[in-house]
Amino acid sequence: MSTVLQNLVNQPYKHGFVTEIESEVAPKGLNEDTIRMISAKKNEPEWLLKFRLDAYKKWLTMTAPEWQNVKYPTIDLQAISYYAAPKPKKKLASMDEVDPELLRTFEKLGVPMHERAALAGVAVDVVFDSVSVATTYKGKLAEVGIIFCSISEAVQDHPELVKQYLGKVVPVGDNYYAALNSAVFTDGSFCFIPKGVKCPMDLSTYFRINTEGSGQFERTLIIAEDDSSVSYLEGCTAPQFDTNQLHAAVVELIAMDNADIKYSTVQNWYAGDENGVGGIYNFVTKRGLAKGVNSRISWTQVETGAAITWKYPSCILRGDNSVGEFYSVAVTNNYQQADTGTKMIHIGKNTRSTIVSKGISAGHSNSSYRGLVRITPTADGARNYSQCDSMLIGDQCGAHTFPYIQVKNNSAQVEHEASTSKIGEEQLFYFAQRGIDAEEAVSMIINGFCKDVFQQLPMEFAVEATKLLSFKLEGSVG
Amino acid sequence: MKPVTSSNHYLERLLQTWSKPSPNTLPWLKQLQVGALDCVNTLRMPTLRDEEWRFTDISSLTKLPFPVVSNPSSLQLSDIEAYCLQEAATRIVFVDGQYAPQLSCVDSDVVAGNLLSLSCAYEEEIAQHIGQHIDSKDNVFAALNTAFLQDSAIVMVPCNTTITAPIHLLFIATQQEVSSYPRCLIIAQSGSKATIVEDYVALQAANYLTNTVSEISIAANGQLNHVRVQRESRQAFHIANCNVSLARASNYHSVSVALGAAISRVNLNVALTDEGAECTVNGLALISEQQLADSHTFIDHIKPHCSSNQQHKCIVGGTAHAVFNGRIMVRPNAQQTDSKQSSRNLLLTDKAHVDTKPQLEIFADDVKCAHGATVGQLDDEEIFYLRSRGLSEIAARDLLVYAFGAEIIEQITINSLKQQLKQSILEYTKHSE
Repeated sequence: MSTVLQNLVNQPYKHGFVTEIESEVAPKGLNEDTIRMISAKKNEPEWLLKFRLDAYKKWLTMTAPEWQNVKYPTIDLQAISYYAAPKPKKKLASMDEVDPELLRTFEKLGVPMHERAALAGVAVDVVFDSVSVATTYKGKLAEVGIIFCSISEAVQDHPELVKQYLGKVVPVGDNYYAALNSAVFTDGSFCFIPKGVKCPMDLSTYFRINTEGSGQFERTLIIAEDDSSVSYLEGCTAPQFDTNQLHAAVVELIAMDNADIKYSTVQNWYAGDENGVGGIYNFVTKRGLAKGVNSRISWTQVETGAAITWKYPSCILRGDNSVGEFYSVAVTNNYQQADTGTKMIHIGKNTRSTIVSKGISAGHSNSSYRGLVRITPTADGARNYSQCDSMLIGDQCGAHTFPYIQVKNNSAQVEHEASTSKIGEEQLFYFAQRGIDAEEAVSMIINGFCKDVFQQLPMEFAVEATKLLSFKLEGSVG
Repeated sequence: MKPVTSSNHYLERLLQTWSKPSPNTLPWLKQLQVGALDCVNTLRMPTLRDEEWRFTDISSLTKLPFPVVSNPSSLQLSDIEAYCLQEAATRIVFVDGQYAPQLSCVDSDVVAGNLLSLSCAYEEEIAQHIGQHIDSKDNVFAALNTAFLQDSAIVMVPCNTTITAPIHLLFIATQQEVSSYPRCLIIAQSGSKATIVEDYVALQAANYLTNTVSEISIAANGQLNHVRVQRESRQAFHIANCNVSLARASNYHSVSVALGAAISRVNLNVALTDEGAECTVNGLALISEQQLADSHTFIDHIKPHCSSNQQHKCIVGGTAHAVFNGRIMVRPNAQQTDSKQSSRNLLLTDKAHVDTKPQLEIFADDVKCAHGATVGQLDDEEIFYLRSRGLSEIAARDLLVYAFGAEIIEQITINSLKQQLKQSILEYTKHSE
């Protein structure tokens, strides 16, 4: 391993800065009063408060899971503030009224909303800390009947939809962090695609964690009715902090007959410094329900940040002929830890699923693929193909695979393949012969390694992901 | 037999049958037994909540605290003829966990026998290995076996000696509602070469528990061929722990076949402790009706330049349930490791099911590791091909199932055993229709 690569890997986090905006922060700690306070602040209906309190009661009976292949100090959940919102201001009519400081933050992140919106036709629902402050293109989407807003708005404007679907895919007591999220979630995105509508543009949300010490509990709910389709992008960056921040989001997707949901994530949160100090804990529950016949749910993720990433975007394939897909690239460096993968639960007949997972570890990091493919007795003719490859850069890192395959139907066909490799001297030599330096060679090899996944990303994300990967690993090989 | 309710109660009841080592027991053996007993007292029976046991429900076992055999059956050679291997020159026979010298025979090239008869002449070697390759601390079955350790099958292959004839370790169950704790210690000294068959059979359909521990140590440049055949009664419980330790440039080749038992569980742990060690670990589970066969293997690459190759197959019929958990660990600095693993599973009925988990944990970068797993039924195209050549559908299916299993059986070098096991597959295909 050469020093060139070392230097490349160890580039400082480029998005580390704190925006100084006055925040309204709830006192630290979690109890029923905190939940009532959040609910009251957000002017929520009675049923939602009950939903939160039920979740809280369930959560009290649960303990934090320990089976995952990651190590971290116990999180003191009472030391977290469960609500932080930029001070409420008068309604914004245009982008000009948005806090200039906030706009500058996005500028630094390279998210020029208006420009991007105009050029790429992307509607950005910006979640800054926990409250949605600006939503663009809402009108255009409303024309075709699409509802795309923050979940708190949805609770006010479309309570019947939220009530009908919230917690249906990820029940309140699903797991420790999902229960916590259900009790205290502050905001997130809501998206409803009505019958027969193909969403005319990619929907996108930028998440930022801003106030130090505030846990973020996002809640995303996407519903695609019969014959509709949507592509949703989620991107993350966070400023540099020393104390670990917890992020326990819940994402629920529901696809009805013939509906198609594509959910893409690029995650680049603060991963801690080169000694593993600080960084975000990213404990996320993501699950899609392919409820209708011929429905399709596709998860694509590029995980490059966070001190600990721990998530398993899953598909429950209930409708006959439904399709689940999972494409993932997870890059870990320094002392980062990632335990990620997917669950494919085949229930309907002729359901199909594809899993492609690429893990790249460098430095002292560890990355694990943990996946479950379950074929239930009713899933006649189910088909699964899984491939998970790991690449190790350096001899201090680890790559692990834990695939669970459970088959209870003999007409099913399940295949799993995994391999581990490293960037070979010969490969680098080959590139050198052709006048390509080590740094660029590594970048090319890695991009080739991840090609299967990047192909699944929407155009602008693919470009961003490629860049992200090369600067994440800058200096780690040689 | 009075069933017990809680699993701790089960351990209590089992330990009631534990008797203090007799005063003339060797001190180190006594120490081993008492130490294991202390371990048992700190442990509990595993349940489905334990990750290592999440697919294997042994609650039916924990209701039945079978006592140790008090009056072993006395068998004649004619009773066990069907199980003797004609190629084997050495045969060590245990009946219900007790050594049966009248049924055993030993070839002069090899040191083989039971612990009690060999412990005078080879005390040092035995004490050095027995109980040292298995960890009882968090393994309740291994701890129980060691606590109940009275006797053991011992095989020592001397330095630079090649034993061509296979060595047959035969464990026979004859009684109903008893527990037996067979134990094997195999020491392959440096440069030696041998083939060992570890064979578990039952003379009648009976409900009993076999809880066995095998420890295998292969010294530098040693080569050991290990065939493990489990053909217990269909109502029995079979729990096995086998730990293998490989020294520099040694070679371990194993074929493990599971045919019998209502519930069987084999933990096979192979530690490649020095450079250049190689292992091949193959397995076949052939089960039907309500059988459950669980195979957990752990191949530990501790040092650089080792290779491992594993192939595990399950043929599952009836409402049977096969479990495979294959863990491969590549420790930091175990560079140049070459490891391959494949788990292939054939489901013959719509009620059969399989849980497989090929697991890689890699901490070194310059390694070649690959694993694969497939689950499926017989390929329609293959059946069609055979039918187009004039085979009936049933014959075509039988042939394909046979071929699937025979790939593992073929690796056994002992002809008579190979034929017996092939016959078992043929009978299996007949029964499963």
